[in-house]
Amino acid sequence: MKSFTNAAIIILTALLSAIPAAQASDSIVVFSGRSDKFVKPVIKQFTKETGIDVIIHSGESTALLNKLRIEGNRTDADLFLSNDAGTLQKGSDLGLFIKLPASIVADIGTNYRAKNDTWIGLSARARVLVVNTNSPFADSLRSVFDLADPALKGKLGITHSTNESYIAGVSVYLLATNKDKVKTWLSGMKSNVGGKVFNKHSKIVSAVASGKISVGLVNHYYIYRHLDKHPEAPITIILPDQGTNEIGVAWNVAGIAMSKYSKKQALAKKLLAYLISEKGQKVFAEINREYPTRDGVAASAVVPAAGSFKVADVPMYQLGKHRNETIDLIEAIGMP
Amino acid sequence: MAVLVVVLASIPLWFVVYESFQLSFEQWLRLWSSRLPELLWNTLSLAVLVAIGCFILGVSAAWWIARHDFPGRQCAIWLMILPLTIPTYVFAHIYTTLFEPDGWIGITWQYFFGDTVEIPDIYNIFGATLVLSLAGFSYVFLLAYSALSVSTRTLEEAAQIQGARKSQVFWRVNLPLLRPAIAAGLAVVVLHALSDFGAVSMLHFQTFTLSIYLQMSGRFDYQSAAGLSLVLIALSLTFLVLERFFRARQRYYSGRQTRKHVLTAASPSKVTFIWFWLSLITLFSFILPIVWMLSWSWEAWTQDLINQEFWGYALNSLSLAAICATIASVVALPIALYNHRLRSSFSNALIQVSSVGFVLPGPVVALGILTFIIATLPVVYGGIFALLLALIIRFLPLAVQSQDAAMQQLTPSIEQAGRILGATPLENLRRVILPMIRGGLASAWVLVFIDALKELPATLILRPTGFDTLPVRIWIEASEEMLELAAPAALMLVVGTLPVLWILMKNTNKH
Repeated sequence: MKSFTNAAIIILTALLSAIPAAQASDSIVVFSGRSDKFVKPVIKQFTKETGIDVIIHSGESTALLNKLRIEGNRTDADLFLSNDAGTLQKGSDLGLFIKLPASIVADIGTNYRAKNDTWIGLSARARVLVVNTNSPFADSLRSVFDLADPALKGKLGITHSTNESYIAGVSVYLLATNKDKVKTWLSGMKSNVGGKVFNKHSKIVSAVASGKISVGLVNHYYIYRHLDKHPEAPITIILPDQGTNEIGVAWNVAGIAMSKYSKKQALAKKLLAYLISEKGQKVFAEINREYPTRDGVAASAVVPAAGSFKVADVPMYQLGKHRNETIDLIEAIGMP
Repeated sequence: MAVLVVVLASIPLWFVVYESFQLSFEQWLRLWSSRLPELLWNTLSLAVLVAIGCFILGVSAAWWIARHDFPGRQCAIWLMILPLTIPTYVFAHIYTTLFEPDGWIGITWQYFFGDTVEIPDIYNIFGATLVLSLAGFSYVFLLAYSALSVSTRTLEEAAQIQGARKSQVFWRVNLPLLRPAIAAGLAVVVLHALSDFGAVSMLHFQTFTLSIYLQMSGRFDYQSAAGLSLVLIALSLTFLVLERFFRARQRYYSGRQTRKHVLTAASPSKVTFIWFWLSLITLFSFILPIVWMLSWSWEAWTQDLINQEFWGYALNSLSLAAICATIASVVALPIALYNHRLRSSFSNALIQVSSVGFVLPGPVVALGILTFIIATLPVVYGGIFALLLALIIRFLPLAVQSQDAAMQQLTPSIEQAGRILGATPLENLRRVILPMIRGGLASAWVLVFIDALKELPATLILRPTGFDTLPVRIWIEASEEMLELAAPAALMLVVGTLPVLWILMKNTNKH
């Protein structure tokens, strides 16, 4: 027994010492729900310029927000980064974030930040249609609501209804129009896809490119990502709902907030300031071809220029307020 | 001591009970009418299908291998247990990419069937069954195989003398004799299926576990999540109790004068048949996944993506699993011993409660622990402690069960002999009991190690800041479709599991 216990103790201490100490003192921690590959470049740049280390703790936005909530004042997190305005607003409603100083929020339009300045948007993306240029629909589609047209039966691609961009998009349509319209629209799409939905946006774009389906509802950057690899692909972007009486394109933002319990607020503010600086905005948005939220910073040249098209007039914080309502509607209709 | 461990192990259970008591009657009603019927149907049918799948794969393989001598028999045993090294979410991820139009299976399918027949969709119950069966049948195989190789000839010969045909002997004698082993194997498989998180969420198949996670994470609705968990626990416990009930009624004793079974040499045609079947199983359960991992890892290697960070994740994973296995084996000992000594309904209840970690979904265990530690012991939060506690709670049942099984061979007379010869109780433990159950201890360690190494949902939630393990990286990279980053991590899990699997096999062969 003794030798057994001894062996166990030795193994344990050896192994415990192999696990590195959680973090150094002059580093900040970012809970990140955004893809590592889109976050790391700008963070690396920041560390290089300021010497401040940043630990990126990645995961699903909502799971990380839960963690932040339960951890309370024990949290390590200084900043919370999410791809979805709805999640950010949820955190704000739960009182997890601190009000950001005017110097930081001033450069970001009021539509792209929390009403009480507890979070700011860093980059915006548009919900658009991708169509196969050889299909008859390339010329006839104008609105997302056209996707409910029975003529599209078997020719439409949408993602699984748990996708956060999808939910946020439906929230925007819900706020910009009305419940009945959105309900009819969802039901129409449901019968058009016949239970078969896509797991990822990128697969919708591939399916449209191969002609398997004719049209898909996606975030704009997936189209350009596909064109990078297959420049000859017969696909094009349609910015929907541009008519005078129409609602415009639905946007969603990726954004950032500061934890109420951050013990390194000064360092965290430095990162925030960097992220909204012209240089930081360029790097952060460009890598995924999103639209910088700071006025005057241009998006990548390949995407339609911001300001050249109409955007739905829905403040982003509304996405969080109506999130549960949207999910209820989606579930009530039984979207796959 | 045993009671203390069990109380700790039941923390997540208290969390679930407490949270679900906050649910009002109306909320329960809403839950019942809106979600439960579909979830119950999905979860139960998945469990049944996976059990059938594992039964077919596991028992057939065990029967051919345990009773026939053919070239490559040792190799065949290994091929049947190697799938244990691959986690369910890796299986799910690999199969979703293989079934893509440009994946290997997709291409092959189109080659044979052209564009006319659609490539089967695996984002449904059949996909989930396929993945969970391939990932789980090895448990059934292992238990059935070891039962078959120690079973005696006497009964079979008696049946043959009475004029029974071979197939009759199999169905009437062998299968009933195997029932406890198969039941135990299927129990493990079904419990894994009930609490699986990674595969079902990758395949978007709504089971209890996935729905619980979505309620918690997407809607911040802990109470509904807890309510659903409570139903799931009830379901799993019913199943466990039934399984034990049927097993308890069927204890088999072997006579003293036993003759071990001799392997019959298989005829050439039979050898071809056996290998055809085994290759088919192993092709889908191991060869395809491993070739996929190797080819994408090669891609990663040529792109110089296997860097210091990667080795860091590997070290994190291996040390975490080793610590967890060590602690779990040690704390399981008092429970198993206690149950062995008393065999009372109380000790049995202790064992049942300690197995709660196994039937609760990982995310729920994690949240329960998180809430508990923040409320009672905030000072220890932030380090590795919370994660370790969650993993140990999740996998303690594995350790307890396998130690309990090993103690079955300790007859009271052996211990009494020790005491009569003047040994103190402690000395008895050290010099008699522990040496006798050494095999069981090692198996317990290995089983916990394998599962802890592959664990995903609790690690995702509870890992200390910046502490990434291989499963966490696989999860992140796979959800971003960075195959060349997910593959080497998956391959590393396989490589890391191999040596301990070898220990397990050495143990099994010895008995």
